[in-house]
Amino acid sequence: MSLGLLLRLGIGLLVLAFFAYRFYGVLVRGAYGAETWARLAISGLIIGSVYAVIALGYTLVYGILFMINFAHGEVMMIGAFAGYFVLEAFAASGFSARQPVLAIIITFLAGMTVSMLVGISLERIAYRPLRGAPRLVPLISAIGASIFLQNAAQLMFGSMRRTYSNPPALERNVGWVLEVAGKPVSITYTGVLTFAFSVVLMVGLYLLVQRTRLGRAMRAVAENKEAAALMGVDVDRVIANTFAISGVLAGAAGVMWGLHNGIIYHYVGFIPGLKAFTAAVLGGIGNIPGAMLGGIVLGIAESLTPAVLDMPFQLKDVLAFAVLVLVLIFRPTGILGEVLAEEKV
Amino acid sequence: MGLRTGIRMGLIAAIVTIFLILIGVHMLMGRLLQSWFRVPAHWPGVWLMVVLLGMWAGSRAVGQMKARSWGNALLAGASAGIIQGALVGAALYLLASITQAGVDLRTWLNQMSKESIGALTLGFAPLPAAGFIGGVLLVSALAGAAWRERRLRVRAARLARGERMISLREHLLEIPAISQVSNNPLSRRVLIGVFMVLLLIAPFFLGQYWNYNLGTVGIYVILGLGLNIVVGMAGLLDLGYVAFFAVGAYTMALLTAPQPHHIQMSFWLALPIGIVLAAVAGILLGIPVLRMRGDYLAIVTLGFGEIIRILSKSDVLTGFTGGPRGVRNVGHPVLFGKDIGNEFYFFYFILIGVILAIIITRRLEHSRVGRAWRAMREDEKVSQAMGIYTLKYKLMAFAMGAALAGLSGAIFASRNSFTGPEDFVLLVSINVLALVIVGGMGSIPGVILGAFVLKGLPEMLRELEDYRVLVFGALLVVMMIVRPQGLWPASRVQLERPRPELAEEVEAPAELAEGEVGS
Repeated sequence: MSLGLLLRLGIGLLVLAFFAYRFYGVLVRGAYGAETWARLAISGLIIGSVYAVIALGYTLVYGILFMINFAHGEVMMIGAFAGYFVLEAFAASGFSARQPVLAIIITFLAGMTVSMLVGISLERIAYRPLRGAPRLVPLISAIGASIFLQNAAQLMFGSMRRTYSNPPALERNVGWVLEVAGKPVSITYTGVLTFAFSVVLMVGLYLLVQRTRLGRAMRAVAENKEAAALMGVDVDRVIANTFAISGVLAGAAGVMWGLHNGIIYHYVGFIPGLKAFTAAVLGGIGNIPGAMLGGIVLGIAESLTPAVLDMPFQLKDVLAFAVLVLVLIFRPTGILGEVLAEEKV
Repeated sequence: MGLRTGIRMGLIAAIVTIFLILIGVHMLMGRLLQSWFRVPAHWPGVWLMVVLLGMWAGSRAVGQMKARSWGNALLAGASAGIIQGALVGAALYLLASITQAGVDLRTWLNQMSKESIGALTLGFAPLPAAGFIGGVLLVSALAGAAWRERRLRVRAARLARGERMISLREHLLEIPAISQVSNNPLSRRVLIGVFMVLLLIAPFFLGQYWNYNLGTVGIYVILGLGLNIVVGMAGLLDLGYVAFFAVGAYTMALLTAPQPHHIQMSFWLALPIGIVLAAVAGILLGIPVLRMRGDYLAIVTLGFGEIIRILSKSDVLTGFTGGPRGVRNVGHPVLFGKDIGNEFYFFYFILIGVILAIIITRRLEHSRVGRAWRAMREDEKVSQAMGIYTLKYKLMAFAMGAALAGLSGAIFASRNSFTGPEDFVLLVSINVLALVIVGGMGSIPGVILGAFVLKGLPEMLRELEDYRVLVFGALLVVMMIVRPQGLWPASRVQLERPRPELAEEVEAPAELAEGEVGS
């Protein structure tokens, strides 16, 4: 024990010293102006809110089934594709120029519906037959499903990168301009939409879980499946609904990703999926506010740390994972703590 | 009753059929039949798939019915067929009429070329073509329903007469000669001997291509045996196993290649250094993370694997690792002044590595350490209470697994004369994990079989081309549902399930019996 404690302390001090040293260097040199910091923080916040929405899907499923839904990123990717096709059709028919608001709403609905259906079928085909199996078994099944969906998408849509055709009113990289330290910092419309819609989804989910009958059933199943079943909760149904909800969230995240980042392809769900899982663990898996917090913290961390540490931005993924490893070393249950006790797993 | 199951099954079957058409599986079936059975055209394969899908819908609908009668069965089959036929027909109508209007669907749907749709319309206009495919599906659904109903009836009658269903295995064991051979402990050794001899002479008869592929399978066997220690024996889920593979490969590459460090050490010196460094990396990673519980461990190791790959690719380390372009001209092993760096010699070299890995893991498995691992895997708290210092044994498992990964990485880099960041993608970790689990967790013959099935078989099925990875993913899911214990499960798993033929014999002590079965 003492060895571990010493080691952790040592690692902690080293990391802190390293951080302080690099950050001091960056500040002294004045490498980045205030406007750059603001820009980085804003983009981190936006990407973090997308991570948070995806992470919610992981956390919901994990909270109930104790399994990592490895294919969740692919569900998001399919939602992004569904949105892409709808927008493409709207752009071709001129509908998105005439009715941008309606077009965006329908795009989101399409992405969410398709992802929901994929989520439900995923549960029905790949996970439900494995209920009660050792924990590695559904994980492998999930990995298989993830590989399958990715390659099916590649075969169906080809492996080229596609660009979302946003409505003219919602062009990418266009937005309000703030002035920070005399320099312009733009806040894009797509970014605002992404952030605002993420917050709406998070609040909606929170209310759903805390206030509705389904939410109560979900919490009961997460607490204890057998007891919930004895109390008259249809466990299979609740689990299917959970996957439907997490699919809806993933679909929304996919469309947001497409609208904000612009480019989608068959592999687009994988890295965000990993990051979102990281975010869920970071916040404390199975914990809904934790997933939201974890997503936003991860987004900001991966956007700011390269600048703080004066490292190239291509290392942002490394730094994101390093943050995760550090958090888990010092606080293995995540920032807000798991909701589940270890004994239940 | 029959109607509802029929409609539901028809809907599912329609979605599956349309999905398969959209990803172009019908054309693949056509090509496969062409190349395997020398069918002159591709339409028989295409329509075979359509007919099979229709029959599947009908038979599944009947299988899910609760009330058994011929009327119900026909109703179920007909409703499934009509729904499936109508939906698939509508989809085909849509696709065909868009194509007929001169639009190239491939802009959006990559597989929907003119030929691909033409194989389904057979040159008819969209509407009659849709009707035709719908009719074919309906007829096949009815046929499938009738076939399933008959089979269910035959089985029910047999059960009523009191006949027991016997598996093929039991059938074979009833033949005296077969049961004698299979009960004789020598026969197992003879079998292994024959297999070894075959492997020893194989490279003389196989070409370069197959020697190379067999070598790849061997490398994956070593990797699988290493991960088997970590996941199968000690029960620690490691999703970043490729990191240790990378450490071994990069050590070999950087120490023996002329660029970027100009060390050009001998292969035989770099090999043990690579193994040791990988083991050290395993311990260094293990100390902070091994206190974490299952899923956290999985995600942290996964993160670590990605960190190693991205770092090796980044500009920060370009001077040290060669960056995205990798390291070229990695040294070959030289024996008695002769460069033995081609596929032929490497095959034997890898074979020696595999045999060594098998011996090491077998000795470990049946040692005090192996028992401690197993206890830890089954219940960590109880094993701690029994006086096992779990952190120490976890570290040992990690170090052993990493050392084997380092060995295979070093061989891999030298054999390819090249190593670069793209050799160490996450898919490698997943492949290794998959072969351990498909083969049978904790089972050494299972790992070998798994490597052959997952790495060797796809090479043989070259015709599958782009569909190989897709099939791989589907196989993992199906495998977990149908046979989660793996193709060749560890003997312990077998012992826990009472088998009729074992129950009659005198009960042997568990440890002894396992030694016999597992040898």
